[in-house]
Amino acid sequence: MRRIASSVAVVCALGLAATACSDATAGGSAAAPTQSVNATASLKGVHLTMWVAQNSVSEPKQVIDAFQKATGATVSTQVIPDPYESNVPTKLASGDKPDLMFWQPTGSTLPFIQPAKNLLPLDNEDWVAKLGKTEQGLGQVDGHRYAAIVTSPAVLGVYYNKDVFKKAGVTKMPGSYDELLATAAKIKSKTGVAPFFEVGGDKWPLQWQVQVQLTDLPQSFWDKLNKNQAKWTDPVVVNAIKKYKTKLLDAGLAQKNYKTATFVDQGKAIMDGSAAMALNVTSLQSEIQATSSTAEMDRKLGFFPISNSSAKALYSPDQTNGVVAFHTGDSKREQAARQFMSFWLGKDYPDYIKANKVVSVEPSVPNPDGLPQTAVAQAKALSTATGVFQVKALTAPDMHLALADMIYGKKTPQQVAQAAEDQFTQVLKARGVSGF
Amino acid sequence: MADTATIGVTDVTPSKKAGGSARRASRRRPRSKPDQPWWFALPALAVFGVFFLLPNLLNFVYPFTNWSAFHADIKFAGLSNFRSVLQDGSMLRDIRITVEYAVLVALFQNGFGLALALLLERDTRFNRFFRAVFFLPVLISALAVGYIFRALLAQDGALNSVLSSLAGHHVDTPWLGSTTWTLVVVTLIHGWKWMGLAMLIYLAGLKSMPTDVLEAARIDGAGSWRTFWSIRFPLLAPAVTFNVTTALIGSMNTFDIVQATTAGGPGSETEVFNIYMFRVFGQGLYAQASAMSLVLFVIVVVLAVPVIVGLRRRENVQ
Repeated sequence: MRRIASSVAVVCALGLAATACSDATAGGSAAAPTQSVNATASLKGVHLTMWVAQNSVSEPKQVIDAFQKATGATVSTQVIPDPYESNVPTKLASGDKPDLMFWQPTGSTLPFIQPAKNLLPLDNEDWVAKLGKTEQGLGQVDGHRYAAIVTSPAVLGVYYNKDVFKKAGVTKMPGSYDELLATAAKIKSKTGVAPFFEVGGDKWPLQWQVQVQLTDLPQSFWDKLNKNQAKWTDPVVVNAIKKYKTKLLDAGLAQKNYKTATFVDQGKAIMDGSAAMALNVTSLQSEIQATSSTAEMDRKLGFFPISNSSAKALYSPDQTNGVVAFHTGDSKREQAARQFMSFWLGKDYPDYIKANKVVSVEPSVPNPDGLPQTAVAQAKALSTATGVFQVKALTAPDMHLALADMIYGKKTPQQVAQAAEDQFTQVLKARGVSGF
Repeated sequence: MADTATIGVTDVTPSKKAGGSARRASRRRPRSKPDQPWWFALPALAVFGVFFLLPNLLNFVYPFTNWSAFHADIKFAGLSNFRSVLQDGSMLRDIRITVEYAVLVALFQNGFGLALALLLERDTRFNRFFRAVFFLPVLISALAVGYIFRALLAQDGALNSVLSSLAGHHVDTPWLGSTTWTLVVVTLIHGWKWMGLAMLIYLAGLKSMPTDVLEAARIDGAGSWRTFWSIRFPLLAPAVTFNVTTALIGSMNTFDIVQATTAGGPGSETEVFNIYMFRVFGQGLYAQASAMSLVLFVIVVVLAVPVIVGLRRRENVQ
């Protein structure tokens, strides 16, 4: 009897512990600090932690060294393993919190980390006015700015092999998606080279051919979509997917192994001319930069922007572009985190972009020398670029996964759109967005 | 969370046995006063409670809440998570794939294991060495196994190179790129990784067979084939029960090998339940992922219990 009583007691205690559980990410909301920070004020004895992803480990190295030297603070980085965008919220849910962190500065990804509760609002920081127009529009959610933009967002456009274009006699770059497809057909008939290199093995770049066709949708469509008054199954979206399938893939405008080819293969193929074009974001350029010199890239590669009906690019921010600061409750460290951002985008910025060989996000700071032409072309295209759906929709469905099913014949274009719609409504319902 | 299902079900077999013998034992001798005070067990109970009982109990609570990456609080949400899971078109497909995966793994793992056990049955130095060699994959990390096979089976991988040089022309079979056969390839890898364990259990079964029965069979003139099918295989029934059950349950909870080889592709045709759950968890829908884990738990129970009962009955008949 006594044993039963004691086991009942243990179970009850555990039950109580269970009901006392709550989400550890909960915290207090705060107003944006208004007092300015002095970027180089002494911070002796202050220690800051910064979370970085596997592909952004070395990105803040220069600024951390310079900041430590200038202020006496110590900043240590901690790598959060991939997939970064899902491991960070899980880690936050367990109660762990850094002072600073890289995070995709878009309205669709910022809500994953509950900015109102967790992050320092950065509305009145001194660096905000220094940013370019496109960059200024990023990093905001629910009317507050939560992310500092340290590098310019990835630009989506076409990387092409100059030799193949020359052989095919293409001199005028296409000015719309239909012209792009016509150019592709011309390249195929004149040279026999695969016009597009598509990446079914890595899946994520599959979305770009569809995204480029959605650029004529007005802002009112996205506003309606975000209120559940319009759907991803809208004919415009379904037709874009259909066009990708029938006019590009089924029409033989992609290379033979498009179902299994990888992102790394894509870089190699457009460098060696076994494919003419790759529609992708800046990370393709970074991938090629890792193995080729700037001179070699300038000799072989070109870049042009493309939209559905004009020659404008798309921009797609990712985790390497934005830095957020956490509301930790320790005012000294919060102040130091703001100081770090001010230092990064202020005094240190010219040295930072020089060390990292990236384009500037601040019009007053010129680009460093030695950038490949494709990078300069992208920076130029950014001012008129429009956001990808990750920027416009409240949450971004994994359309590429459904597209990967489609290229294996397991989903129709209609079903791809439906899968996007299902995921979109599920997440927004969980977020408690009105209308869902 | 995935462990819940395994632990819950593997308990079924031993508990039956343990329960029975405990009852018998208590009948035989009167309950004596314990030598130690009950609270000596508290540290162990606490560890058990925090790391086993509590997570398992919570797995029955979270599916009915709105827990997600987007809220600070966790509120009761009724059955809405189950409704979302059921409406999602991927669920039925993934259940089918998971069951196919489990059945194929059970076949391969036991087929390979039994064949190896029979080949390496005699206690020679040669056999002892190879038993150890075939057991090695069991000790390797499943992710490492997955990545190694992905490299070997890639379209420009080692296997195709070997085949090319043997065939005399270029072979570029996408081993992990077929919507029909990739599932079979992945289950073969799974079977390969765990066959050493099955071999060990079959060996133990073969070793513990009463020699007089085998001798009687020999005297009666039974050949080795006849002896195997009529005597040795039926006597292996307990080992078969254990191996088939652990293979089925283990493979229904598979994640690592599939994630490392195909990550659910091509065309989602190897997307087993746990990959699907991982995907949803990654979207920040924690409660919905918990609901799926509960669904998987129910499926494992519903499928595994009849199999175990059937296999146990088969043991008794013989």
